[in-house]
Amino acid sequence: MSTIAPTARPIRPKRRLQLNASLVVGVALTIGFLVIAIVSFFWLPSNPNIPVIKDRLLPPGTAGHLLGTDVLGRDVIAQLMVGSRTSILVGAGGASIALILGTITGLAAAAYGKIADELISRGADIMLSIPGMVTALVLAATMGSGALTTILALSAFFTPSFTRVIRSAALSVLQEDFITAARLYGRGKLFILARHVLPNIAGVMIVQFTLYFAAGILTEAGLSYLGVGVTRPQISWGMMLNEAQQQVGISSPLAVWPGLAIVFVVLGLNLLGDGLRDVLDPKLKRRTA
Amino acid sequence: MSAPANALEVRDLVVTNGEVAAVRGVSFTIPAGGRMGLVGESGSGKSMTALALMGLLPMGWGAQGSVLHDGVDLVTQSDRALSSRRGRTLSMVFQDPLSSLNPVRRVGDQIAWVIRRHTGVDRREAERQTLDLVRQMKLPRPEQIVRAYPHEISGGQRQRIMIAMALACYPQLIIADEPTTALDVTVQKQVLRLLNAAVKERNSALLMITHDLPIIAAMCDSVAVMYAGRIVEMGPVGEVFRTPRHHYTRGLLESQPTMDNIALDGSSRLVSIPGMVPPLHDLPAGCAFHPRCPAASERCRSAMPELDGRGRAAACWHPAAAAVEAAP
Amino acid sequence: MTIYVLRKLAFFVGAVLVASLAIFLLIRGAGGNVAAIVLGKDATADAINALAHTYGLDRPLPVQYVDWIMNMLSGDLGQSFRTKESVADLVTDRLSVSVPLALSGLLLGLIIAIPVGTYAARNVGRPSGALLALLSQIGVAVPVFWAGILLSVLFGVRLGWLPTGGWTDWTADPVGAVRSLVLPVLSLGLIMAAVLIRYIRSAVLDVMNQDYVRTARAVGMTRTQALLQVGLRNALLPIVTIVGLQIAELIGGTVIIEMVFSLPGLSRMILANVAAREVIVVQSTVMLIIVFVIFVNFVVDLLYGILDPRIRNSA
Repeated sequence: MSTIAPTARPIRPKRRLQLNASLVVGVALTIGFLVIAIVSFFWLPSNPNIPVIKDRLLPPGTAGHLLGTDVLGRDVIAQLMVGSRTSILVGAGGASIALILGTITGLAAAAYGKIADELISRGADIMLSIPGMVTALVLAATMGSGALTTILALSAFFTPSFTRVIRSAALSVLQEDFITAARLYGRGKLFILARHVLPNIAGVMIVQFTLYFAAGILTEAGLSYLGVGVTRPQISWGMMLNEAQQQVGISSPLAVWPGLAIVFVVLGLNLLGDGLRDVLDPKLKRRTA
Repeated sequence: MSAPANALEVRDLVVTNGEVAAVRGVSFTIPAGGRMGLVGESGSGKSMTALALMGLLPMGWGAQGSVLHDGVDLVTQSDRALSSRRGRTLSMVFQDPLSSLNPVRRVGDQIAWVIRRHTGVDRREAERQTLDLVRQMKLPRPEQIVRAYPHEISGGQRQRIMIAMALACYPQLIIADEPTTALDVTVQKQVLRLLNAAVKERNSALLMITHDLPIIAAMCDSVAVMYAGRIVEMGPVGEVFRTPRHHYTRGLLESQPTMDNIALDGSSRLVSIPGMVPPLHDLPAGCAFHPRCPAASERCRSAMPELDGRGRAAACWHPAAAAVEAAP
Repeated sequence: MTIYVLRKLAFFVGAVLVASLAIFLLIRGAGGNVAAIVLGKDATADAINALAHTYGLDRPLPVQYVDWIMNMLSGDLGQSFRTKESVADLVTDRLSVSVPLALSGLLLGLIIAIPVGTYAARNVGRPSGALLALLSQIGVAVPVFWAGILLSVLFGVRLGWLPTGGWTDWTADPVGAVRSLVLPVLSLGLIMAAVLIRYIRSAVLDVMNQDYVRTARAVGMTRTQALLQVGLRNALLPIVTIVGLQIAELIGGTVIIEMVFSLPGLSRMILANVAAREVIVVQSTVMLIIVFVIFVNFVVDLLYGILDPRIRNSA
């Protein structure tokens, strides 16, 4: 009779390792991105908004302008560095407001009865079916374009997703026995939500924030590409792509760098979000909304 | 076409995912038309044994050893070759009939598919046979039942549909994995009676997997007791249950509630064996049962006992001699 | 099913009303005196009043809102202040670009994502599955307009196979129209596919571990048959939901891609009219798009009811 020697090591599925790899890469890319944005406040290779006509359209690799210059002789690296600020400001700004509004509405839907739930959930469904890009165009038309408008537009599109995710996370916490126990102690609803529910859904909130930070950067780039996002002297990677296409043509290397920057940063944040999700809450399945 | 003498011959079956083994060398034989019970606590490897026989192990798990059935070794067969046997020469009834039936197809269509897959009859004939089967399963209003979706019928009815699917092509062997655990106690007996009759009528062999000893006593002629991936005792049901030789079997029998208790609370949890089933990745050396065994000695801690025979056998260094009175 | 359909219909109507109110308030509530904006700084007060009166802009907002909705319901989408063209005519022309683009993009996305997502789910834990997961992760990070730029550099500038932008009308040159659409559709479809692959992979993974897939194998299906005939059929339910949710995303992508390839679609029209302060045109066009998206979601809900007997027979 054949036997298999029992191994003393616990089962360690390979999946776990892969996800940690995504966390590591995500953290590295995200930290790199944040550091560049911080450095941009203290040091820039040159002023990204002042034209230097004699230096126009220098090719990548030129001394002093490693990635070259644009049609007005402005350094590409300097523009990319300042652009990272816009990505953080708008992406994180939009995601933050959505997080706050989504938490309030999501918790209210989960904890304050059927009618509140039905109203908030259906409201979120309606908002989800409104195409954000189109509404942003309208918003830009009525309020004027700029970083603030873009942040407001982003938070408006993102809030319903936050509402949904936080509602369902809160609902599952509210079903736990310790909540019933807290209720029996006579704890009020707000107390229970603040002290018991919020800490337990913090992981979900962090993951959601990270993923929508990334989505915000993508959407901002799109809006600025369309010319209804941020405007100079602020700089956006989407705006740089638009300028490259309009002024020099798409085959210019100027149409490469901002795109690469977006891909790296968004990829980093998405990997970070996915990695965090598996670390913070392994039971949490990938949600579809 | 002469039927082989044995419906199933399992030799040294090992089921492993490369890191741990859920089944660690299991051998048994079920003669044609024979009925064997496989008992053990959850985690003892009995369900993995069944899935290995069917070639339905979860992703990442593999089987070694040999499983002779209908003249072939199932372990070496390709998925395609096995698929033409599954549902035809061997079949399986699963535990939870709600999750085990396809929620988006009518139950009649699901049965008819099996018939058409294995007999090649046309749709009309398959539908006629399906209706016959559903009638045999004593389901009310069969014409309506076949047109129902799984969620529209009761748990007992679903399990009868599951049994009808498994028996549709008169398999030589039926594996039933806890077929009544998910059902209401009142329905359990009816479903078991039906399964019993249907198996008898087809002259199929039965491998009944359960932790419910009275069911084994009522339906099977032999029994194998599994613990931590190995058979620790086997033999004819009457002998094993009357004079258990392994201390685990003994503990199982003593902790078994009587029929009256079952009717009261429906559970048959082990209460008199101290300790817990060891996890697969941390099995004790020697006899895996020794930490929980009243008769354990130094030898039990170091050396693994083998089954001491082929028909009536136990794998124990200190087999119990006296009979217990608590035979179900 | 009847109750289910009625509930979804009620939601559809409610959603359209809420959305119309939001659009109206957004454009008109915040917009100030429309007539003054349209006519510009040098306009006289008389001219402004005259224009406002002609278009009923001097009436109270609630009245204008009801009027707008009633007109829309009767098929009158209003007209441009400057050119007097009816919005319906303006839109119809643009739809012959935008609709084929959006639909083909979605279709291409699905055609790529369903088999690839299924394959990735079957090979989870293997190198090929991990590679596909990584590729779709990267694809999700690529902005759709940058994908458009890269593709047109490759196929338009370097290889010269396809136009990098511009449009020839269907009636003038159908082949040219198709050629103009190839790269836009490819960009949109690839990015949609990257997003969809992730969802489809997890939907299929979920379904693959269901007991009924094992049962299907236990009664005679091969692993592949069970996956395709039972698994994919059940995975259709979450996939349909995802497609519904992605419609808004698709419209956004279409808007941007039209700009990348200078296609005369709806988005260019909206942008031009936003710049020209043609509020009526913008308001009605945006509303049309939103109604379309909400309608698609309504259809998706109905489809869901048809696909899932548990919903179909619930009432």
